[in-house]
Amino acid sequence: MRRFLIFMYFSTFLSVGAGAVLGAERFPPPEFVETHHQIPSPTLPGPRVDVYEYLDVVVLAAALCLSSYLVLKRRSRKWILGLMLFSLGYFGFWRQGCVCPIGAIQNVTLSLFDSDYAIPLTALLFFLLPLLFTLFFGRTFCAAVCPLGAMQDLVALKPMKVARWLESGLRLLAWVYLGSAVLFAATGSAFVICRYDPFVAFFRFSGSVNMIVVGLCLLGVGVFIGRPYCRFLCPYGLILRQISRISKWRVTITPDECIKCRLCEDSCPYGAIREPSGQWDREYYVKSKKRLGILICLVPVLVFLGGLGGWLLRGVTSEVNSRVRLADRIYMEETGQVEDTIDASDAFRSTGVKAEVLYEESAGIVDSFGRGGWFVGGFLGLVVGLKLIGLSVKRGRSDYEAERASCVACGRCFEYCPREQVRLKNLREAVGKA
Amino acid sequence: MVGSVDNNSVEGNAGDVFYRTAVRTAVLSGLFCLIVGGFLIYNYVMRTGADERRVNELDELKVEVQNKPDDEQLIARFRKLDLQVRKTRVRRLDFSRRGGYLLFGGAIVFFAGLLWVVSFRRKVAYPKGGIDYDEIQIRESALSRRSVGVGAIGLAVAGLLLAITIGPEFPTGASDGLTLSGGLVETWSSFRGLGGSGVYEWKDEVSSSWNGKSGEGIIWKSEVSLSGYGSPIVWKDRVFVSGADANSREVYCFDAVSGERLWASVLPKIAEANAVELEVMEDTGYAASTMVSDGRRVCAIFANGNVGCFNFEGKRLWSVGLGVPDSTYGYASSLAIYRNILLIQYDQSYADAGKSVIKGLNVLTGDILWQTPRPVSSSWCSPIVIKAAGREQVITCSDPLMIAYDPNNGAELWRADCLGGEIASSPIYTGEVVIGLEPYTKLVGVRPDGHGDVTKTHVAWSVDAGAPDICSPVSNGELVFLLTTDGTLSCFKVSDGSAVWEHQLKGDFKASPSLVNGRLYILSEQGVMIIADISAGFSELAQCALGERCYASPAFADGRIYIRGVKNLYCIGSDSKR
Repeated sequence: MRRFLIFMYFSTFLSVGAGAVLGAERFPPPEFVETHHQIPSPTLPGPRVDVYEYLDVVVLAAALCLSSYLVLKRRSRKWILGLMLFSLGYFGFWRQGCVCPIGAIQNVTLSLFDSDYAIPLTALLFFLLPLLFTLFFGRTFCAAVCPLGAMQDLVALKPMKVARWLESGLRLLAWVYLGSAVLFAATGSAFVICRYDPFVAFFRFSGSVNMIVVGLCLLGVGVFIGRPYCRFLCPYGLILRQISRISKWRVTITPDECIKCRLCEDSCPYGAIREPSGQWDREYYVKSKKRLGILICLVPVLVFLGGLGGWLLRGVTSEVNSRVRLADRIYMEETGQVEDTIDASDAFRSTGVKAEVLYEESAGIVDSFGRGGWFVGGFLGLVVGLKLIGLSVKRGRSDYEAERASCVACGRCFEYCPREQVRLKNLREAVGKA
Repeated sequence: MVGSVDNNSVEGNAGDVFYRTAVRTAVLSGLFCLIVGGFLIYNYVMRTGADERRVNELDELKVEVQNKPDDEQLIARFRKLDLQVRKTRVRRLDFSRRGGYLLFGGAIVFFAGLLWVVSFRRKVAYPKGGIDYDEIQIRESALSRRSVGVGAIGLAVAGLLLAITIGPEFPTGASDGLTLSGGLVETWSSFRGLGGSGVYEWKDEVSSSWNGKSGEGIIWKSEVSLSGYGSPIVWKDRVFVSGADANSREVYCFDAVSGERLWASVLPKIAEANAVELEVMEDTGYAASTMVSDGRRVCAIFANGNVGCFNFEGKRLWSVGLGVPDSTYGYASSLAIYRNILLIQYDQSYADAGKSVIKGLNVLTGDILWQTPRPVSSSWCSPIVIKAAGREQVITCSDPLMIAYDPNNGAELWRADCLGGEIASSPIYTGEVVIGLEPYTKLVGVRPDGHGDVTKTHVAWSVDAGAPDICSPVSNGELVFLLTTDGTLSCFKVSDGSAVWEHQLKGDFKASPSLVNGRLYILSEQGVMIIADISAGFSELAQCALGERCYASPAFADGRIYIRGVKNLYCIGSDSKR
């Protein structure tokens, strides 16, 4: 029966994907060969009424307030689950995954680097509000407001533990993703977070086959590894992780005191619960101090190497820019490397601009990617250095704790704590006091 | 809850019933999803397979119909197949839409069922004893460091491999030899080319030998019905000029390859122009302004202030009247264009009269997008659009101000009180300074990176010079060349405005000099083009006589020279059009 259920599960996902592929079809306009009737250009639909945009912000703020209350005060997984479903419905299927704080990273970046771009107020608020709430209440946005997180949370049916060392290594991917997204947005080349949103195809019942497959894979993996996108890829999650380290309030497993019963230690599907730890022995402490010193000295080297790597990759990263790709195409056509032309190259030629002008412009873009590569690469080098340092520092804990950065405040661990059961009056007060 | 997550709950009667119900819900909804999904996949396969073949058949039939437009039977077959294809597509789209919703509903029930099943299978937490967490933490930290290190090295290696294998195909050092933007295009779409610089670079030699009488070096010659002093403009294979007299205003389009006149379109007089008796000097005429094109449309302005826009087939798209200009010699400023904005410097009367204005018109509709009053007197020079100090700027010259505007909204960016007199010479941008001329008096260089009144802060230099009264200057970025109507050619340094050399030419000159592949091309009123090397002072290379008087500045495009004489339009160069 279990195998059958797993088979059914994968089959269903494939079918959902097929449905979304079909949704991408567009009905071609008719051609009036005989009468030469020209079909008038389609008029663009009017912009969404402003009031609805602000309503989205109000809903976001309300959901964040409610999520914070449910996580920190009410401590109810069921209510969190309910809010999660609402967010999935509203921000996911109703608003079709846009605007979202994750993609808003790019709007904010572009507005900083392009003076001609005025960031919509709603995008700015979508970016800032979750950060503000995280600063005070921890990752309550991830808990029940993010539709991407909600979708993965709901399919986490059989979560397994991921070794912490593996998780540390895999999280580098998210930093690279964040750095790339910022670089591409800053150069005005692409909004890759939106383009490669793995779940937006499901929200819209439409999308490219590639992204549907990626989304299905992530959801499939998500059955056994909790929230893989949130933990190993989400660029906004990374920012929230750092802010939640200094949040004023945070999720606690126990409502009052930890009795070290260890009942909660396997309850977190996201590996966020940390065990109590004592003092290191002296020999190991001395060794660690030496290692720490070496790693601190290594940081500038890593920053430089990262920057150099980013600069060396300018030829690769700049290929994301459509002008650079066009220059490549024109050059290949001009030098006979390809025989046919494409719409973009035809359109370029119809402007009458010389290819050398395009090459010059594109070379400038490649240079800007080189400069950006120094910053992004250097930043990634710094991240690696700081991570290594962080992993060499002893953190003493007296209780079982939900780690501030990793905890997505899903509330699963609450019910495992006997003290929580006492709070809910399911158990007698004597429990834990013995 | 801890108290409820017990395997025993599955074993009880009620629990057993609920568990079986959960499993059946999951199984049934899963089966439902599979069936719906199967139909959807079938629908998709049919859409990309069988339907696609019929679409291809339809495309072939369409070509046949185009070749045999009178074949009624073929047309009927085409219509029938077309209808079938459309009906099928609509049906399949409808099917996939409805199926998608059903699948979505089924998936919700399926997951709810699975969650329900899982809730019965949860195990009670039972921690193992005897674990040394300190030891584990030390081991995990060491492993994590290795993991991060290996991950970083892996990413670096992957990046390096990408950097080696992927990169731009085009020559990224292409910018080395390119200095000014004026001559880098195959088009010559406005007065003195892009940016109004009069500079032209071409990959091959540009013709330096022709004779109008014998026809040597002349590719074609076509008569222009109505006269005008405006220069020709070129967009790919089309050449445009405007012409007018007291009664008619016309725009002409010629085939750049053959010289054949493709069309002539008339711009009717707009009502307000009828009310005023227009008087212009003979030296200015009714069509002194050069046209402008954005590649799809071409716009012209005439002495009576009427502006017309035409498509490349000669159809008039719109026309507006700006009011008959109050100009001593007649209106002569050429048009400029920025994105979809047609820029018109409309200076009139005296500064105190408040009549001068610069306008931005929507090139698609003729609507005025913005207009900014100008505190200046009449002028006859043309605005130029440049990019300097990280922003697009429209530079205008008049008595007494050089003013820069934002072409997007007409907002004034900066102004310098440095000019005077009746200004007909247009400004140029050297990449360092904007150069403006006060006729007979001085040459001024202004840095275009200021804000507000920059008279005291950004006028880089101002030198007394016998500046031209009509011809516009030209510069190679290091030197600037001035040509007066009586033939005095003088050279100044761009860096400080100091004089370098002077040379007296024979003839009279109204056309502005051009810099072509580093050589000066100077066209006299007598129709003689003087070509000179200016790499080390003035060194005449050739004189080419056209045999017809010329007033308009020449245009350069696609390696050819287009010269407008008083009666004819000439195309000079090699026969083979690129």
